[in-house]
Amino acid sequence: MLLVVTYSRAARTTLRNVCRAHESTVTRALGRAALFEETELGAFLALRLRAKHGGDVQVERTEPFNEFETVSEGVREAAEAYEDRETPSTPYAKFAAGTDHPDPEAMRDADL
Amino acid sequence: MSEPLRVHVGERTHAGHAVDLCGDDVAAAAVVRAVRAERADSSVRVDCPTPGDAHAHVARLPPETFDRRAALAAAARALGHTSSSQSALADAQAELASLSPPAVDIEAARRRVAEAGAEEVRLRERVAELRGRLQARQEVGAETTAVEAQLREATSELAERETERIAAEQALDQAEAAARAARDDRDRRLELEDRVANLERQVRHDLASAVWPTFRSAVDAVPGTATTGDSPGSYDGPQSTAALAVARLAPLDAPVVVTEQAGVDHEQAATTLGAPVIYVG
Repeated sequence: MLLVVTYSRAARTTLRNVCRAHESTVTRALGRAALFEETELGAFLALRLRAKHGGDVQVERTEPFNEFETVSEGVREAAEAYEDRETPSTPYAKFAAGTDHPDPEAMRDADL
Repeated sequence: MSEPLRVHVGERTHAGHAVDLCGDDVAAAAVVRAVRAERADSSVRVDCPTPGDAHAHVARLPPETFDRRAALAAAARALGHTSSSQSALADAQAELASLSPPAVDIEAARRRVAEAGAEEVRLRERVAELRGRLQARQEVGAETTAVEAQLREATSELAERETERIAAEQALDQAEAAARAARDDRDRRLELEDRVANLERQVRHDLASAVWPTFRSAVDAVPGTATTGDSPGSYDGPQSTAALAVARLAPLDAPVVVTEQAGVDHEQAATTLGAPVIYVG
């Protein structure tokens, strides 16, 4: 999909108007950002916004996130386990220390 | 009331606090411009004090467009009311004005990557094709010198294009990093824009609240049917009535131009509005 993020009040207003007028192309409107369908019309709308508001409009192309394809099992399990922790106040670094769960610093440097 | 007003239409001069121009065949818009001293070449000239901010909202009654909240705020200001958010608003406006986020321009970098990539694909296909042709000629024992030369040229051009594509990608990465920093600044600016808008709303609300009881009695005193509620802003009625009420409560030195549609008699207009009046019928 196309992620459109706005960085000024004027650009945000135009984005809202576009979202209202093109519901079938706008997958999700999120206030100052929106997800457009990855179609020529979606691209057209994004480019129109950028033509009008220049640097106040950021357009990125997104991909669906499939953790089973791109994320190692260790990271997935760590996320589940951490959300299941007994003491809610435990920070993750402490939670992971001395276990098989990955270290946050190691995860920071590991690209997907 | 201040010194009497003088209105010159062609050779005639009218004076007083309520000037009736019904017999002079002048357009309301021309008189409004004359009050604002906007056009010196007009046949209408008005000697009067310079109109203030509140006057701008009620220069012509009924007004063509009317922003009730803004008009009430301007009238309240003219009456000396202030809002406690005023200084916070001034600070936020000053900070906003001082911001100039760097440009986000990575279009050229994106175009360079796309062009370099397309050229590389074309050359890669060309090299593959020449390799195929060379192999075919070798298999049948045909002359290969020319094809070998073409292949050498294409291969070396491909290497150059690969280098260019890699350089273009690195340049795009750098441009994107710079764009991220510029967007952080733009985020800050957007926050400030929102803050300014909220504070402006707050100031307008405070100012409107300060004159709300006065506005309500003014609505009752002017022609027209409108109902108002206790809470500031709760108004149900035509905008012309609200405009008359604002004109009545605002301290106006410059004359307001009243037309027949205002529904107020020209003799009563000055008294009802408590302001100098030019009635154009």
